[in-house]
Amino acid sequence: MPTSAAASSSSENQSRPVPEDIVGRLSSSMASYEIKLKALRDLKNQIIGNRTKKLAFLKLGAVPSVVSILSSATAAASCRGGYDDNLDSIIIQSAAVIGSFACGFDAGVQAVLDAGALPILLSLISHQNEKVVDAGARSLKLIYQSKLAPKYEFFKDQNLEFLLSLLNCKNENVTGLGACVITHSCRTSIEQRALNDAGVVRKLISLLGGSVIQRDSSLESLAAILKENSEVILKFVGPENGRALNDVIELTKDKHPRTRLLACMCLVVIRNALPSYLQDLQIKTKLVLILLELLDDPGQVGEEAPFILSSLIVGKEDMQRLAFQENVIDKLCCHLEKGSLQAKRLQGIFLALADLCSRLESCRTKLLSLKALQFMVDAMSHDSAEVRAAACICLKNVSRSVENLSAGTFMNESVINPVVQLLCDTSTSVQVAALGAISNVVVDFMVQKTTFIQFGGVKQLVELSKSMDSTIRMNAVCALRNLMFLVSDRCKEAILLELTQSTLTSLICDPEVSVQEQALALVCNLVDGSTDGIRHVFADNCSLLRAVVRQIQSASKVEVVIQGMYVLTNVASGDELHKEAVMDELFPTLPGGPQSIVIKFLQSNESQLRTAAVWTLVNLTLPNSSGAFGRAVKLRRAGIISQLKNMMNDPCLDVKLRARTAFGQMMTLGDGSP
Amino acid sequence: MPVRVPESSMPSQVSDDNAGNTTLPPCTLLSVGQAFSGTQNVSSLQKDEAWRVNVRILGCDLDHGYLCGTMEALNVPMADTPVITFWEGEIVDTKNYTFFTNKWGATSDDDIKHWTKFPSFSPLQSQVETDGGKSLDLSNYPYIFMRWKEQYFVNVGTDCGLTIAGFYYVCFSCSDGSVSGFYYDPNSSPFQKLELKSINEGRSGFSFSSYQLQ
Repeated sequence: MPTSAAASSSSENQSRPVPEDIVGRLSSSMASYEIKLKALRDLKNQIIGNRTKKLAFLKLGAVPSVVSILSSATAAASCRGGYDDNLDSIIIQSAAVIGSFACGFDAGVQAVLDAGALPILLSLISHQNEKVVDAGARSLKLIYQSKLAPKYEFFKDQNLEFLLSLLNCKNENVTGLGACVITHSCRTSIEQRALNDAGVVRKLISLLGGSVIQRDSSLESLAAILKENSEVILKFVGPENGRALNDVIELTKDKHPRTRLLACMCLVVIRNALPSYLQDLQIKTKLVLILLELLDDPGQVGEEAPFILSSLIVGKEDMQRLAFQENVIDKLCCHLEKGSLQAKRLQGIFLALADLCSRLESCRTKLLSLKALQFMVDAMSHDSAEVRAAACICLKNVSRSVENLSAGTFMNESVINPVVQLLCDTSTSVQVAALGAISNVVVDFMVQKTTFIQFGGVKQLVELSKSMDSTIRMNAVCALRNLMFLVSDRCKEAILLELTQSTLTSLICDPEVSVQEQALALVCNLVDGSTDGIRHVFADNCSLLRAVVRQIQSASKVEVVIQGMYVLTNVASGDELHKEAVMDELFPTLPGGPQSIVIKFLQSNESQLRTAAVWTLVNLTLPNSSGAFGRAVKLRRAGIISQLKNMMNDPCLDVKLRARTAFGQMMTLGDGSP
Repeated sequence: MPVRVPESSMPSQVSDDNAGNTTLPPCTLLSVGQAFSGTQNVSSLQKDEAWRVNVRILGCDLDHGYLCGTMEALNVPMADTPVITFWEGEIVDTKNYTFFTNKWGATSDDDIKHWTKFPSFSPLQSQVETDGGKSLDLSNYPYIFMRWKEQYFVNVGTDCGLTIAGFYYVCFSCSDGSVSGFYYDPNSSPFQKLELKSINEGRSGFSFSSYQLQ
């Protein structure tokens, strides 16, 4: 009721100082240490765990005032030497307030860093008063847990020695800080090796037997040092019959969920870098089951568990099969069914499901049988961009199922509409993920491709094919290529009307090789099917055909040339005019001119290019076509016969068989001699 | 005049170390989008009958020995429209699949009885009888052996009076893209022969299309 709310607010006002008053006291040059100490305590009590309050105080400029108090107190303490209870209390309280601002709040971290708190806090670690050291270490740890904290420069001055001194300290918050700095800053293999050589790994292993804080922070930093570095991992798992590895395995049974999670993370890092380790079925199964169980944790552990599960199974079919057998899909879907999940957890679950469905059809079938398509569609309108992207990635992987593409499972309004809408998303990563999903969905082998066109999908894809971002451009062209696969003449017209001849021509000549390749594959699909499609490459003064030929003559990447040659193969499967046009492009009749580029392709080390080139020759020399004889004569003059003879026993079976066909056809046509 | 080239594409045996590690190389005539047309002989003791059949390859994953596509049966007596089914194929690559079916009600005897119907199988027979062909390297053999199993009806209901309970033993010729097959279903007429040829769909030559799953 309004009355009681007012009463409550009034009583609160009486007991709690207003923010402006606190900040005023903090920044006043007249205020005594006692007043400032009281203000610091008041501030700390108000902001702890309260984002809104942190933001309010941030706007009032509280952070620079607190850092300034810390700075003056530290300087004063350093001048006096020895203990000074008043000063130490001020330092401890201001360090605690700074830590609170930084705790899980990026804007707070930024303000703390901008105010220059980091070097002052670091100086507290060598303070004589253990409580001051403790407060400094806690605060620094909170700062280093944020991505915004600067990377610690291991190789600068005495930094490595300082780091070791942190790890060797008896104070568990200080050792925790050392580990936290490593987790935050260790990225390169040079840093990983240097830390190992300096004895950091050895020290961290010894800390695994320490307090919960030491154990957890050591596990986390060990994962950072071992990540993707087989050399350091071998040094970790090797000594004392793998004692360290066994210690980590043992910690997967720890009573603390976070310790179990971090131990799993360490083992996943080791397995991913050195697949020969942790191959035992029992340990693999155990990892899957522990991570699944941790997913039930209502806090941060439960949020992080699906990400670690995801890194355990990504790209590894054996692990995906094992997870499938352990009913991971059902269990993840159970979490989705519960609904109202936090964004990070939802994102992690979709990514884990996506990885599970990346390769195995059995997983896709299972996921679809659990009506998970609806969860993905629902998540596409989630507030969090990460969730929207993860839902699209999940749809992308599940729609790799050719069986379901053939059944038209995805090509319906309820799926197409929300994904097409995400093509206009404000986040680039969501757009890319939506494009990935659409690329697969539009392969649809049923006659439902018109559904996609009706929903304005082509218009959006064409827009994105002109994006400044090359990843978006490539994905958009890939989607158009897939849409063009086995499509009716009417749909081809509709797509080309939107795309236009000139845009397609520019895409063939795009600065990005991957875009060129997709654009050429799109043209290949355009000129496949009924011969009517071929006329498009001759429109606008043969602009498409000329662009294709230019690419095969100048492209540096063989993949581009292969696609280009298949375009010409398809055009050469048309009528006489089409065949002659291809002939003129590939074998121009210039007396004394250079050798045809086709000879170069037939001699390529890349068997796929040899195959594509021979197919063009097969189509140009089909004996039942009226101009075949004339073309065969030209080809002979160009040295094709002797080249084909050399290919009769090509190491690639496909090339060998096609070369024999082309050679046989040319022999049938003869050379005109009596 | 065509030149006769000595045939050197005999299957070879692989050492134990390499057994089951080979993946068949791609064959362009068996790639996605390719179409085939022909007949399936469904004659019984009562009457001679053949259905026209069209096949299109829709998916191919050589790493997993997987192939799939649609099969369209025309002039099926009890159906008003052509009947389309979706099928999935197991490629006998000795890595993912051997010549022994081990399912769908087919014994190894049934397997041998059907495979031996293909002349191109005879050089392989003795080894297949020994180990299902596990030790054969078929990567340079100009024929690809497969089993095609229809999974569902695409355009008619299961109450259409037709059955897809059986499966096909298939032999594909990499040279000309022809497909021979024998339908196996203990409850249907034995050895119904499927004969398909690669078609150009009104073109004067071969045409290729592709998609790329992300």
